[in-house]
Amino acid sequence: MATDLVPEVAQPAAGSPRPASTQRRKRRTPNFWRYRWLYLLLLPGLAYFVVFKYLPMYGLTIAFKDYVPFLGYSGSEWVGLKHFQELFTGPDFGRLLFNTLLLALLTILFVFPAPIVVALLLNELRVNVLKRSVQSLVYIPHFLSWTIVASLTYLLFSVDFGVIANWIHGLVGGQKTDYVAQADWFRPLIVLQLLWKQTGWGTIIYLAALAGVDSQLYEAARVDGAGRWRQFWHITLPAIRPTIVVMAILTSGHLMDSGFEQIWLMTTSLNRDVADVFDTFVYYIGITQGSFSYATAVGLFKGVVGVVLIFGSNFLAKRLGQRGLF
Amino acid sequence: MTIFSPRRIAVAAALSTALLAASACSGGGDDKGGQAASTELTVMTKLFGTAPDPNGELQQAVEKLIGKKLKITWVPNAEYGDKANVTLASDNIPDVMTVNEKSPSFVKAAEAGAFWDLTGKLDKYPNLKPANEQTAKNSQTNGKTYGIYRVRPLLRSGIVIRKDWLAKLGLQEPKTVDDLYAIAKAFTEKDPDGNGKKDTYGLIIPKWPGNYASASPYDVVETWFGAPNGWGERDGKLVPGFDTPEFLAANRWLRTWVQEGLVNPDFATLDSANWNDPFVQGKGGMIIDVNVRATQLLDLFKEKNPKDFDKVTLVGNLAGPDGEKHSYPFTGYNDVLAISKQHIRTDEQLDDVLKTLDKLESKEGSILLTNGIEGRNFKVEGEYAVPINQEDPKVKAIQNDVDKAFIQLGTRASVGTGAYQLRPADEASRKMREKFDVLMNEDLKTAVFNPALGFVAPTAVAKGQTIDTIVPDARIKYLSGAITEDQLKAQIKRWYDSGGTDIAKEINDLSAKAGG
Repeated sequence: MATDLVPEVAQPAAGSPRPASTQRRKRRTPNFWRYRWLYLLLLPGLAYFVVFKYLPMYGLTIAFKDYVPFLGYSGSEWVGLKHFQELFTGPDFGRLLFNTLLLALLTILFVFPAPIVVALLLNELRVNVLKRSVQSLVYIPHFLSWTIVASLTYLLFSVDFGVIANWIHGLVGGQKTDYVAQADWFRPLIVLQLLWKQTGWGTIIYLAALAGVDSQLYEAARVDGAGRWRQFWHITLPAIRPTIVVMAILTSGHLMDSGFEQIWLMTTSLNRDVADVFDTFVYYIGITQGSFSYATAVGLFKGVVGVVLIFGSNFLAKRLGQRGLF
Repeated sequence: MTIFSPRRIAVAAALSTALLAASACSGGGDDKGGQAASTELTVMTKLFGTAPDPNGELQQAVEKLIGKKLKITWVPNAEYGDKANVTLASDNIPDVMTVNEKSPSFVKAAEAGAFWDLTGKLDKYPNLKPANEQTAKNSQTNGKTYGIYRVRPLLRSGIVIRKDWLAKLGLQEPKTVDDLYAIAKAFTEKDPDGNGKKDTYGLIIPKWPGNYASASPYDVVETWFGAPNGWGERDGKLVPGFDTPEFLAANRWLRTWVQEGLVNPDFATLDSANWNDPFVQGKGGMIIDVNVRATQLLDLFKEKNPKDFDKVTLVGNLAGPDGEKHSYPFTGYNDVLAISKQHIRTDEQLDDVLKTLDKLESKEGSILLTNGIEGRNFKVEGEYAVPINQEDPKVKAIQNDVDKAFIQLGTRASVGTGAYQLRPADEASRKMREKFDVLMNEDLKTAVFNPALGFVAPTAVAKGQTIDTIVPDARIKYLSGAITEDQLKAQIKRWYDSGGTDIAKEINDLSAKAGG
């Protein structure tokens, strides 16, 4: 909010004729003084970021140490890039990277476009009551925890008593498939869960963007003889394009986040080979195994990749003539 | 003056900043020093229900006995391992902590000097002195005693079987693995519940959360077949149990069970918390687990139908295909009480803490921790404790504090040292209880002990988690038919290649050094 306020209030100052350099220095202090309350309002926010986001980064140093809690951050021995070397040359790295990236790819292909499609479909609905109730119904799953989603999945797909599993079995016949345990069904189930849980919530922002489209544009298009499809293609889609781009850039930063809880809850002995991703690996190594340094190194690697992806996609968006995020 | 006057805003902003800063600092500034430990003892242990009130009657009675204030962090059992690891990583380690003395994070912390090495120091304290040499050896970490073990029966493995199903099909209790197979087959195909449908299976196995050699049904069956329990000697060297022909034979046999539908189809995913359900619902007829599951199931049947509930029988370990019996023993303990050096710095302070613990584990203390307060929540009748006044909510609270919490602090009580046994509620449970000891003593004669139990290989500490899952995962895959026997062998080789070779060498070296 502060960023919205400051330029507005500052406008008269910026609009005034450019002062000479000596004058400028004099004017700068009063300027700061003049907006001192706004700066003060900024302080808690800044303090939050410093205390909870920047100071903890000091702990990242343990990625380059052999951290033993008893010896503390400063007392532990420096080991340089040992943990990174271990990660990149270890037997797990290839599998983890592949699993993480494949899940990310599936997410982009199926989960990212889903809210856009649903929002567009909802937008075409003319009965307002129906539109609103559908909208509410589809975003309820967002508020359920992953534990509940995983339990529901087991109830529906379990080989012994799964309702849907039995229904499919009755339809197709043949041998019963154990959807929750089999490695082949792990990724489809993960994508299905994501779709069910997140699609509705994702539509909110697109619906807001759609609501902002000037209805005069549609009227004009109709006068010019544009059909539904033409209106959609030339008005609706361009109108929400910036929103899609921003959402895409933000999503790209989270590509390496496969959603720890979801993956962890769905992992079994049979599907571990395809289920292990960086997030669960960090948990196993760090919390279960107590190798804090190694786990931090893995987490740091993940973070770096996330940053590269954000900047990369932002750059790409600008290159393609869209407004980037920054 | 309006609400948003500059001064007010300034004060509010300054206050909120200060608050943030204060909350950020309060995590670390708990400086207790060495002296305060003499009147207060901080403890962390497991919890199986709701946490006791620190001012509750039982805690006060315990505090009175030991002459110290107790500050106990109760952690639910399900998340204890994670919480213990996080606690070990913090700068706030409690004085006395229930830990798995073989877990990598504890071994690392202990070797860095975060915990007292108690080797040879416990003999001075009559109630802390190890009562069983085998168990004392098992609970060591590479020759060092880092804690006081919490004793458990040395053998608890058994098979729980539907008694009424056996009777209906005219079958005898099993003595060999072949008998067991025949029963499973009959339970699956001969309609033991008499509903005219083929909707039952023989054996119920859940998704096993532990690693290899963690008392899973698979581990028990492998031992019956003659495979080592964890580690075993082959050609003068210690080898992991899964690298033996007996391991493969046992799993080949179990695989046919799965193929013939004698095991619940969701054995790879069934939550172990719901293990009893298929048994009580009459879907499956056998469970291979600890003996106390028999009394648990008996209670569940009683809940369902108080008039007709004697439907459970318990059988001990079985003879393998070669006719010889090998029994699966337990470690004889469950976790140890370790003493951290964070606040207890000197030998005098350590002696003070050990004396306190010695009082806690005395006969009087054991009764408090295991039975409760005599005359309040139980009375003594012969050799048994009998619950009384249970309808009084205050007494109920004491009972809850005992059963769900304080019993976890006992190191001797659960095998009946000092404390009283609970009087069984009915004839069937009494008989079942009596069977526990008979079966245990019988099976201990053929118990296959794990010679490497007291050792932790440094390589396993360094990368345990990444390779610990290789073999148990491959075993499940093989049983479910997802991989072939050659692929299972390839996975065992993968274990060796990912660090297992080093682990095997280190275990052999450690064992040779210990003169084992």
